[in-house]
Amino acid sequence: MIAVENLSHHYGGQPTLLDLGFRLAPGEKAVILGANGCGKSTLLKILDGLIAPGAGRYLYDGEAITPLRLKAGGLRRRFRQEVGLLFQNPDVMLFNPTVADEIAFGPRQLGLADVDDRVAHWAGKTGVTHLLPRAPFSLSGGEKQKTALAALLAVEPKLLLLDEPTAALDPRSTGWLVDFLAGLKQTVLCSTHNLSLAPELAPRALVLGEDHRLLYDGPIERFLMDETALVQANLAHIHSHRHTYFRAPAHHHHPLKKGVVEHRHFHTHDW
Amino acid sequence: MPALPVDRARLIAYLTALVTFSFLTSPLWLGAGLAAVLALAGRQGPRLLRRALLATLAFSGAASATYAALSWWTQHRLPLDWLLAANLRVLLMALLTFLFIARVNLFRALDFSRRLTFLLTLAVSQSLGLRRTLDDFRLGLHSRAIRPAGLKARYRAAARAAAWLLDRALANAHESAQALQSRGFFK
Ligand SMILES: Nc1ncnc2c1ncn2[C@@H]1O[C@H](COP(=O)(O)OP(=O)(O)OP(=O)(O)O)[C@@H](O)[C@H]1O
Ligand SMILES: [Mg+2]
Repeated sequence: MIAVENLSHHYGGQPTLLDLGFRLAPGEKAVILGANGCGKSTLLKILDGLIAPGAGRYLYDGEAITPLRLKAGGLRRRFRQEVGLLFQNPDVMLFNPTVADEIAFGPRQLGLADVDDRVAHWAGKTGVTHLLPRAPFSLSGGEKQKTALAALLAVEPKLLLLDEPTAALDPRSTGWLVDFLAGLKQTVLCSTHNLSLAPELAPRALVLGEDHRLLYDGPIERFLMDETALVQANLAHIHSHRHTYFRAPAHHHHPLKKGVVEHRHFHTHDW
Repeated sequence: MPALPVDRARLIAYLTALVTFSFLTSPLWLGAGLAAVLALAGRQGPRLLRRALLATLAFSGAASATYAALSWWTQHRLPLDWLLAANLRVLLMALLTFLFIARVNLFRALDFSRRLTFLLTLAVSQSLGLRRTLDDFRLGLHSRAIRPAGLKARYRAAARAAAWLLDRALANAHESAQALQSRGFFK
């Protein structure tokens, strides 16, 4: 469905992405993992045809995509309907007076007849029915994210690009999103730096390193077991700290009693 | 006494000139000031002058027209001297400011004070951050526009972006002040 070939991107001389290459088959789900600033959002914007790759190519269904090529009516219409991006900051994609109008925005552009039914359907699916008359800007972060998601789904895209969709969600909504995505038939590419959540979102991981290159592409479980790779991607670190414990964990050879022990400990970031 | 770093000397000259110009009322002196700044600007002069003209045209034009209409209505005469002086002064200050921005590294000019550098860094980083988000608003509309976005959608998106910017600028100012306070800045 998508193919990325030798793709690089710079912001004013600073590299943001270097020589990336991967493919995604129709219906496949993958997560993009990477520390802050390694280029996740930039990659998703390129895949949504919003910014041009500096070098290399991005093909959607065999068609090279750049902002320039999307100026042509036919390709643009198909691409914008089939590909949806949930921005990291959902504020930037919500500009209609009510949540209902927001969800109807896409279907109206397509001139669909059953706009109201679609709004009701997707509002129900994403749990924002009770918010329909509200103004999107007045909602909480998580509610905005669900509204934006409903607005994207209402045009039934084939490829969903999600930029840290769980960042503003509480645990219950996060659980809901995990189940919801699992039930979608769409191709989904989702960025996150939440390691414990990642394997629930997709079986495949694309890991961007701090050098802005693709550090790993493959089954997520294997990446998560590779401590060296985790540290290299700056998604985990090793540091000394103090533990209060009641029972010694099997891998630590501490006496079996309550106490405080300082030791080195392998850590992943989940925040 | 250590030599004054050039950026700081320029900052002082700029501030002094700005204050001086704001006291000048004679169009003749203001004209002379304009000529002096242009001479200082050298080859950059014409470009900076054009930018200064463009930047001040809307404001000066509106203010002048209002003032002229008012005095015509109340005193039946046009305050030509005043209009000339006011417009020259605004232009001169804009030109001087543009020249200053083009020539002076503010970070170096302010490096004598950690506090001022800190404030400048804060201001610059916030405006960069805000600019990035404004860019994202444009991309947000773009990515959802299956057909070229209509006037209404553009207007709405721009209005949302403006409202967001205002909200955020206020919240940021508030938060920055709190952050500065918590770091002992105002003591
Ligand atoms: N509009 C911009 N102009 C200049 N530099 C930018 C812009 N947007 C992002 N960058 C820079 O590009 C790099 C990659 O940014 P990006 O937003 O893609 O990272 P990210 O992986 O999404 O990070 P995060 O986890 O913080 O969301 C960063 O160093 C960032 O500062
Ligand atoms: Mg990001």
